[in-house]
Amino acid sequence: MSKPAGVSHEYYSSEYKGWTLRRLAVAGSLVALVIFCWRFAEIRPTSLVDPAGVVSVGNFIRNMFPPDISLQFLRVVAVAAGQTLAIAVASTSLSVGLGLLLGFLGTPILWERGVMLAGEPPGIRRLVQSTISRLARAVLGFFRAVPDLLWALLFVVAVGLGPLAGTLALSVSYAGVLGRVYAHLFEDVDPSAIEALHASGATRIQVFLRAIWPQAASTVTAYTLYSFECCLRAASVLGFIGAGGIGYEINVSMRLFEYGQVLTLLLTLIAMVAVTDSVSRTLRRRLQPNAGRDGPRTFFSSNGMQRRYISGKQIGVSAIVLAIGLSFYFTGLLNGTLADSGAIARMGRFAARMFPPNFEVEFLRSLVLPLIQTIAIAVMGTLIGIIIAAVLALPATSTIILNDGDAAGKHSWINRTTRRIVYTLTRLLLNGLRSVPELVWVLVCILAVGLGPFAGTLAIGLHTGGVLGKLYAETLEEVPVRPIEAMRAIGGRPLQVLVWAIWPQARPTLVSYTVLRWETNLRVSTILGLIGGGGLGQIIYNSVQLGFYSNLATLILLVYILVITTDWISHRLHGQSGALSSTISKLIIQNYMSWRKGQAYSRP
Amino acid sequence: MIYRLQDVSKVYPTRHGPVSSISGVSFCVVEREQMALLGPSGAGKTTLFRLLNATLLATSGSLAFAGEDVLKMSARELRGMRRRIGTIYQQHHLVPSLTSLENTLCGNLGRWSLLHTIRSTFRPSKQEAEQAMAALEMVGLADKYRARADELSGGQQQRLSIARVLVQDPDVILADEPFASLDPALTESIASLLLTLAQDRKRTLIVTLHDREMALRYFPRIVALREGGIAFDMSRDEVTREALEGLYVANTTQQGSVACEVDPSPAIGKSGASCEQTCGR
Repeated sequence: MSKPAGVSHEYYSSEYKGWTLRRLAVAGSLVALVIFCWRFAEIRPTSLVDPAGVVSVGNFIRNMFPPDISLQFLRVVAVAAGQTLAIAVASTSLSVGLGLLLGFLGTPILWERGVMLAGEPPGIRRLVQSTISRLARAVLGFFRAVPDLLWALLFVVAVGLGPLAGTLALSVSYAGVLGRVYAHLFEDVDPSAIEALHASGATRIQVFLRAIWPQAASTVTAYTLYSFECCLRAASVLGFIGAGGIGYEINVSMRLFEYGQVLTLLLTLIAMVAVTDSVSRTLRRRLQPNAGRDGPRTFFSSNGMQRRYISGKQIGVSAIVLAIGLSFYFTGLLNGTLADSGAIARMGRFAARMFPPNFEVEFLRSLVLPLIQTIAIAVMGTLIGIIIAAVLALPATSTIILNDGDAAGKHSWINRTTRRIVYTLTRLLLNGLRSVPELVWVLVCILAVGLGPFAGTLAIGLHTGGVLGKLYAETLEEVPVRPIEAMRAIGGRPLQVLVWAIWPQARPTLVSYTVLRWETNLRVSTILGLIGGGGLGQIIYNSVQLGFYSNLATLILLVYILVITTDWISHRLHGQSGALSSTISKLIIQNYMSWRKGQAYSRP
Repeated sequence: MIYRLQDVSKVYPTRHGPVSSISGVSFCVVEREQMALLGPSGAGKTTLFRLLNATLLATSGSLAFAGEDVLKMSARELRGMRRRIGTIYQQHHLVPSLTSLENTLCGNLGRWSLLHTIRSTFRPSKQEAEQAMAALEMVGLADKYRARADELSGGQQQRLSIARVLVQDPDVILADEPFASLDPALTESIASLLLTLAQDRKRTLIVTLHDREMALRYFPRIVALREGGIAFDMSRDEVTREALEGLYVANTTQQGSVACEVDPSPAIGKSGASCEQTCGR
């Protein structure tokens, strides 16, 4: 090939500088961070092969079989599962109500700026409106930033043991999550409809109902369904700190060494989550535009035309109302437990005793080490999770591991069957890692490596590995297929295709998922100590047990600051301040609303 | 002989039952041949291309590349075969988030070891980078080497995918509608680039076109597809006006199904014989 003139000489040295000072500094500080976190999370790989630990994990696994399916115990399981479901339904419906209200108040386009307010003169009225709006967002931020298990602990102290505490905790926590997402979705609608209605003299409520809601409804519903799934998972572990449901039974059976019962409970839990997943996937599919011949169907549609011919919808709505009513009853929201004057008064007294928070230097100093430990657990846990996910994601990606039946060349059936088996086993393994909640993993890891931060780190790592592995595999599967075909046509091997065609396209999504997971893990690591996983949780637990509520207030504040700082850092890392959480919720919505899986590779 | 196709058919399973894309296609291609595949859209040109570059498996019939049956190749041999075939896709098939330079470097993939592949994502070798730049220069994109593929216009993407094939330096160049997104001036220069390249380096060139004028102007041999079968396979001088008109008439008048069932069957029947003719040539 003839040598080109001009351009080619300067570009090479400018494009590929090699190890610049900047790159060295970044790499060096990453290594330092990992070493630092390694120390503080007290990672001891040798303790994994410690004979005592191996024996006790072996015992645990051996004693899990056979699972306990005596009629007596199954009755206990059924009650616990019902309670968990009731907590999830009740708290989701409460959080939707609260989230809609705060989300409506927190939508800037209605109260602070944009087409609605362009014509209004500045004045005290506008100031009040925008202050209320900001306040609503701040409340949502606080609700969201405090981890759900911490809320549960607070409500257990305030209203006593049982499902009521769990329901209230999840309502508050998920109201924060949902409200923020709702506000984002309301803000994202096409503003021209708002402008048109506003110009014709509509009130804010009218603008909301007629211009914003119709545009946002299907996404809002999809996200709400997704959040119900998350809520169910959360409800199943609240019992670990006494807030009712199936988690309580798992904890009890674990402490009584009744591992057969543990297996029954875990299988029930996995089945519940799987059923909810598939039901909600079916519902979301119907929400997708152009899904059926009847076009989009929404549950909250205000369109009377649709109602007439979907009679099944009325049945659905009645069923939902009935389910919500029943769940309110079973969680104690209706049958007098909450209305009982004692509960409200106790909540008030508890809140009053938290003030003023304890800001003594001595106490604050004692928090430094656990705080660093908490961060270290989250970092190392996420790192372990990334490693597990990276290893397992490739064999779990159908488009990489399975032969394309339509591709040219000969395929031996042994090769095909082996690949199919590897794929299925990896998927099963990922589902297993993912379905077992972190707190259950903590108990198992404590058996293996003893109490302390390493158990917490391992637990986070195992669960995160399952979650990220599945997300990674799905992302890799959904990458646009054309460049892949081109690389294969050039004669690339599967791994070369991965490096040059799949990875560059999937990278942004993979990074977003990982950052999102790291934020989640930080929240989890603050509460692992409640059951012996190290970090701040241990001190939180002690403060509650000893009744030092002013210390507790300081700790909550600390967790809040920690979480919002992390949010801020990950926004900065993404280089688009403030936009990350909305990007991620969009990503989740897209991911959960799409059922293109398998179609991405289908031939024309 | 580069390609020998005998009675090749491709059937896609769909929800509404199997749909035949091409059926009973037979022809041969010899080394250094320059050939146009002509036909209206939906005639099966793209499917035939994917069969030719071995990314798709034929439902029946046999396809041999350089004397070896594609069906009997192992994965390694198949990759070796694909390395010798460069495809310029109609939809370009570039990696959107990589730069022009990186997309061009992808042409080397078939030659690289795994280690070198990974190394090259960080820092390609100087020689390869320069070769890629030269290819970009040839298609007039040297100043865009840093632009991401999705920032380029349709015509620029088209030229970029040609640059990728230049780097691959294959024995056979398959180009699916390479002039579809180019303006007349560029069409001229890219066409002469492809043709002189094939001539100078003694490569085989197969191009699909829907534009008959273009086919007649540039290519000595013309194979026409209609409704998944071969309508005619002639040299440029033999092609008659009636044959060309007949190719498109079914498509435009929408009465193809009637006209077709009577008319093209002799042509398809003839294609078996024409294979022998070509090979004998």
